[in-house]
Amino acid sequence: METGRQGTTLFTAICLLIALLLIIQLWLISAALDAAMSAQARVAVPASVASLVLFAFNVSLLWYVLDFDRRRRRVDPDA
Amino acid sequence: MSKPLNDGPVAAKAVEPAETPHWKRDFPIRWEEDHYVTRRELAKFLTLGSGTIAAATVGVALLGDRLRPSGPMPPLRIDGAEGLARGASLLFRYPSEEDPCILVRLENDRLAAYSQVCTHLSCAVVHRPGSRELDCPCHEGHFDCIDGRPNSGPPTRRLPRILLNETLNGTYAVGVEV
Repeated sequence: METGRQGTTLFTAICLLIALLLIIQLWLISAALDAAMSAQARVAVPASVASLVLFAFNVSLLWYVLDFDRRRRRVDPDA
Repeated sequence: MSKPLNDGPVAAKAVEPAETPHWKRDFPIRWEEDHYVTRRELAKFLTLGSGTIAAATVGVALLGDRLRPSGPMPPLRIDGAEGLARGASLLFRYPSEEDPCILVRLENDRLAAYSQVCTHLSCAVVHRPGSRELDCPCHEGHFDCIDGRPNSGPPTRRLPRILLNETLNGTYAVGVEV
C-alpha cells in the first residue's frame, strides 16, 4: 500500500537523481556548443544523443512518480 | 424592476463532492501532504527542464554548421602587408566589415592572420610588437602567433585562421578556417 510518507521519501530521491542527470545534461550542452563553435561536429552529435538518452531516463522516472501517485489515489481517493 | 433570483420555490439539495477537488488536492493543509505535492511537482519541472536542454543540445548539433561562415569567400587585398616589418602587425576586416582580423609578420618572415575576436568572451586580441603571442587584455588570454592556439588563460579554442594567398600583386585574404 502506497502512503504519502513513502511517496515523499521516494520523490525526494527521484528529484535528486533527475537533478543530477540534469547537471550532466548541462555539461553536455556546453561541450556540444564548444564543439560546434570549433567545427567539431563529431562531438556535438554524440553529446546530443547522450542528452536525449538522459531525458528519456528522466521521463521514465517521472512516469514512475505519476504512477505511484495514481496508485495512491486509487487506495485513498481523498489523498 | 429587478427579476427575482428564483421564479419559484426550489428544493434545496446539498451536493456532496464525490472526491476532493483537484485544486484542493494541490494545496493540502498538513505539512506531510504539502511535502508530497511539492516534490511531485518538482519532479515534473525538472523533467521539463531536462527536455528543454536535450532539445537545445540537438539544436546545437543540427545548427552548429550554420552558425559558422561557409562556402567560398571573395578574396580581399590586404593593403600594407608587403611592407610589414618582422614582429609587427596590422588590422583589417574580413570577410565582412563586422569581422576584425589581425595580420602578423612572424620572425621567420612568414605572414599569419587570425580573427581578432577572442574565443573566450569575444574581446579583441592585440599584438605587441616583437611578441610571439596575441594577447586578450580582458581576461589575460594568450594565443600563439604561429598557429593561433591558446597558450594560457581562459580560452580553450584556437583563433579562427584567415587563409592568405601571397602573390606578386599583393597579399590576399581568401578564406576563414575555424
